Amino acid sequence: MLESIISHGLALGAVYALIGITYNVMFAASRVFSFTAGMVGMLGGVLGALFINRMGMPVIVGFVLTLASGAVIGIVTEILTVRPVLKSLDQHLYVLSTLAFALMIQQLTAIEWSTEPQPFPRLLPIGRGIFDQQFWLPMLACALVIFGLEWLYRRTLIGRAFLAIAEDSYAARALGLPEQRLRMASYALAGVIATLAGFSSGEMMLAYFGNGPLLNFYGFVPVALGGMGSNRGAVVGGIALGLFQQSASVLVGGIFASVAVFVVFIIVLLARPEGLAGAATARRV
Amino acid sequence: MPILVLLVAGCALPLLGDSYMGVIGTRACIYWVLVAGLNLVVGFAGQIAIGWVALLTLGAYVTAVFTAGTVVPEQSPYVALVLAAVLCAVFGLIVGLPALRLRTFYFAMTTLGFATIVTQIALAWKSVTGGGIGVPGPVFPWPFDSPWGFYFFCLGLAIVFTWMTTNVAASRFGRSLVAIRDAEVAAESVGISKPALLVTIFLFSGALAGIAGGLFASLQSYITPDAFTFDLSVLFFIAILIGGRGSILGPLLGTIILTALPEFAAPLVAWSTFLYAALLLVIVLVVPGGIAELLDFKNRRPLEQHRQIRPRPDLVSSVIADARPSSVLVVDNVSLAFGGVRAIDGLSLEVRSGEVHGLIGPNGSGKTTTLNAISGYYAPQQGQILLDGKALPPRAPHGRAAYRIARTFQTPRLVGEESVLENVMLGGTTDGRSSFVEAMLALPRHHGDEKVLTEAAMTALAVVGLEQLAPVRADRLQHSELRFVEIARALMLRPSFLLLDEPAAGLSAEEIKRLGDLIVAISRRGTGVLLVEHHADLIFDICDRVTVLNLGKELASGTPAEIRAHQEVINAYLGA
Amino acid sequence: MSPTRRRAITRRQALAGAGASAAALAAGVCRPAIAQSEPIRIGYLPALTGPSSSTGIGINRGTELAVKEINAAGGIKGRQLELIVRDTQSDPTKAVNASTELTRRHKVHVMWGPLNSGEALAATPLIARDGVPQMHPCWVDALTDVKKYPLCFRNAPTNQQIGGAANHYVFNVLKLKKVAVVSDTTGYGTASLTAYVPMLKAMGAEVVYEGTIEASNPDVKPEMLRMQSGGAQAIMPWSVNAGFLSRLINTRSEMNWDVPIVGQTTLGSGQTQALLKKPEYWEKVYPNNFRNCCYNEAGALPPRTREFVERIRKANIEMSDTLLWWIALGYDAPRLIAEAIKEAGTEPQAIAAYWNKVNNWPGVYATITFTPEQHNGFHDNEVVMCRANSLKDGAFTLAPGYAG
Repeated sequence: MLESIISHGLALGAVYALIGITYNVMFAASRVFSFTAGMVGMLGGVLGALFINRMGMPVIVGFVLTLASGAVIGIVTEILTVRPVLKSLDQHLYVLSTLAFALMIQQLTAIEWSTEPQPFPRLLPIGRGIFDQQFWLPMLACALVIFGLEWLYRRTLIGRAFLAIAEDSYAARALGLPEQRLRMASYALAGVIATLAGFSSGEMMLAYFGNGPLLNFYGFVPVALGGMGSNRGAVVGGIALGLFQQSASVLVGGIFASVAVFVVFIIVLLARPEGLAGAATARRV
Repeated sequence: MPILVLLVAGCALPLLGDSYMGVIGTRACIYWVLVAGLNLVVGFAGQIAIGWVALLTLGAYVTAVFTAGTVVPEQSPYVALVLAAVLCAVFGLIVGLPALRLRTFYFAMTTLGFATIVTQIALAWKSVTGGGIGVPGPVFPWPFDSPWGFYFFCLGLAIVFTWMTTNVAASRFGRSLVAIRDAEVAAESVGISKPALLVTIFLFSGALAGIAGGLFASLQSYITPDAFTFDLSVLFFIAILIGGRGSILGPLLGTIILTALPEFAAPLVAWSTFLYAALLLVIVLVVPGGIAELLDFKNRRPLEQHRQIRPRPDLVSSVIADARPSSVLVVDNVSLAFGGVRAIDGLSLEVRSGEVHGLIGPNGSGKTTTLNAISGYYAPQQGQILLDGKALPPRAPHGRAAYRIARTFQTPRLVGEESVLENVMLGGTTDGRSSFVEAMLALPRHHGDEKVLTEAAMTALAVVGLEQLAPVRADRLQHSELRFVEIARALMLRPSFLLLDEPAAGLSAEEIKRLGDLIVAISRRGTGVLLVEHHADLIFDICDRVTVLNLGKELASGTPAEIRAHQEVINAYLGA
Repeated sequence: MSPTRRRAITRRQALAGAGASAAALAAGVCRPAIAQSEPIRIGYLPALTGPSSSTGIGINRGTELAVKEINAAGGIKGRQLELIVRDTQSDPTKAVNASTELTRRHKVHVMWGPLNSGEALAATPLIARDGVPQMHPCWVDALTDVKKYPLCFRNAPTNQQIGGAANHYVFNVLKLKKVAVVSDTTGYGTASLTAYVPMLKAMGAEVVYEGTIEASNPDVKPEMLRMQSGGAQAIMPWSVNAGFLSRLINTRSEMNWDVPIVGQTTLGSGQTQALLKKPEYWEKVYPNNFRNCCYNEAGALPPRTREFVERIRKANIEMSDTLLWWIALGYDAPRLIAEAIKEAGTEPQAIAAYWNKVNNWPGVYATITFTPEQHNGFHDNEVVMCRANSLKDGAFTLAPGYAG
């Protein structure tokens, strides 16, 4: 039992952490939370199954194509639902536009792909062991993304440009940084991270349109608890969430697990609205 | 107006003779009962409560369980309906409470979470809810047991609740809700308490959703947890946004359209949620105001060009009828830091009744922060604000209105979607005597309130010379006019102290002169004015005393003549 | 006017009048004939999409074939059958909407469906209230009631019959005492669980695990671990969701846990098979099935079924991704409906009266008998257990040790 809790919990936690990072990357670029984070994660699994299983492509090709699709959808999200509402004075419109787009993605997938969970291909031709690839692939993906982002932000110019936009977009623009293009690139990056999360966890979670809202919520919990904008907080929060959820599932039963997660989420959030590691909100007046 | 639509359309429906359309009509009425309440939460208060289907579920199960008599003693369906309303009011409050602490997106997520766990609990609590098997819905006795009879029952309830919500929308509660949504900081400054108002609205909205749930259970004749889908929540939410926020008629039409649409296009049924979402996206991008904006012909009429603002200082005495009592507002050795930045560092100053006290200094010297500290938005780390010797509670901005401390803001904070008159009426919110229930039921005291408030607001607008723009949407006004509207709103409080934050910014020379006359007239009524400004001429013209700030400390204080000659002030700020 | 002309007009008038009334009479006689050539409207409520659509998809193939055949043979007394179909999308709310539309707007003569218990629980009272005769294949016991729903008939077994056969196999044939019973969260799943656990306990079995899992939950391992730690010797799942069942089967093998899985027929469907990670996982899986659709010891189907399979093959109907008995069931229902209308007309009471007298009606799927006190038409001894991995052309061989 314990090994199941650990292997499954860590794997799920890694997926939730990755979606949390997706939220953070989008937020850093635009100060906007998008409901599409979990949906694009779901598409990682669905598109992977579509390309490899249904269309018969080799695993590598399907992988690259899936990530590319994630980038494209990220860019479309930025152009269609974020850029137009950033200009308006009403800050809350972004919630609605991203929600609408996320629902469209979800419904389209349900109708065109299937309303039932579909199998996802086995990615590596290795046999099954106690620590199966469906568990360590998401963890590997998470580690790669974390180190990749660290390297990006600290060592590359474009990474530092991302950070500049996140810190102070006015100043960055004044310095001549192309804010719009950088924002699009950020969203593309976010799309890639999300589809990577979905693809690496495809075998575990299956290709199912209902994963969208699930990842939306459970991917958001690490962000809310770990503090918005903090990737480290997202990882810690994600892993903790995964382990907690699996323990509750095994020890108490499925339905009570989701109730337990939600109750903990609400309590922590009400106690510390800015998250356990987050900064207090900016000046209001 | 919305009631008329409902009445006419609703009574005409049976004439079609198609009892299937009757079912659709009943369903639309039931959804509208829920949406009417949710409208106040989402459309008026601006809270993104997406998971409201949780309350429909709860109301349906409560009504069904209480009429079935298997778990608790059997009740009549009407009693069960009332019980559902009460329980769902409380639960609506629970679902809504996080809104007081959380940011928009976070709150939206928590409502989604609630919707999920209510369904999970319905599935798990088999002994009461029947789990996946479900329970039969209540059957209402004659004359509501036939399809058309039940239709008229639902229609009647829909009309009653439409009337109630329309009353609330047209009352100071409705205006306050919109103020919280669009101009929260300003709403606090006129004394609107966000928690109290939201609590009321969540209770009311929850009750309506509970009743809708009971009716829904009766319509379905049998309920299972999978009848309460996320799609339904989305439908309610989108109906409000398509209809337009801050409107009753818009969401009513939105609900009717979204309920009836799938019936007319059978192949589209599977795509219905996709189409709703696409419609929402289009609305958000193209017509954010929804159907209500499309129907707002009044605000398409062009405004007169080259408008002049002509305040009437002589009318100030009609707004501030009694001369203000003599009192003094003291800032006592206040220090306020944000993180590592000391915005104010040991500042003391005094504002007396009838005096115009100017506050000047370079950018970043702490002028606006001083006003914000007096208004109660921030708590000083050191020192206090005293009114006639008694300390004002820090971090309680909505209490300042009771102390008759009014203010304007550096950037005008108005509700763009409301009319100028409604914006000014916001200033008089604390004078309202009628309760929420009295407003909801349009009782005489509420009408009395509205009459008095409207008259006072028109007078205030006359004082600032903008009464001809009273019915115009505030976001159509020029910047300078907005500043004067803010002053009119502040005057509604009949303030003992008026804090003005750069009111002359963006005004023409002529307008600045008229502003000056107005401020002087206000101070002659006994109001103590604290005027933060960069326009040195205005300051030196009308101020009785001037304090100069630099780097959060007082640099100099005295009469205008003294300050003008003060060497350090000239160096730091005025120039030669 | 001259008297003669008036008389002439009168005679012409009389002739015209006679002609007119003769025409009217003829028209009156002909009108019933025009009405008689109006199609017979059968309301049809399958779930063709959604989590519980496997039954609907399979049954649909049989129903469409039957209606096509009947219409090709001239319909019923010259009237064509018109199938007015509404996809319930596995959603009880949509089933309610759709059934009301069919009974009130289209005024169907008979209702076939809904095909899933959850939807039928919601729609049946409404169909009964509108006085429309209804035939449905759903298993939940409460779905027939001669007093509450006098016009409602079931041409399939009840949960009692199904569960009884499965429980008997586990306890009496396989001789296993400790059982784990699991279902999904639909109305059908939960009702089955609630019905079968007491039945098992009454037989003397020990129910070491009883739980529901959401069909879409990708991870059934925690629940299976709890079954294992409870000492279960057999797993009995009740769900029509192929994904859910396949996950139980896959996880059992991945855990290297060698216990039989005995339960719902969908365990053996082609859809479930397609979702297994390895074909050998399908061993020791014993779903319900029906005698008429199983191969006997000699490996042959009953003659009626064999002939039916031939007919399906000729019509190019796919069998490998579904179950033969669904197609057969779907095929039988329109024929039972058509026969009633042919013999008794379209009056609801007459149709019900006819069905009340049906005795040993020879269906492909099952032999059906109704009485005024018993609207469940399926015979007890026709429910059997079979071996899932013996699937061939949609039919199976009987489970080992199973004498029937």
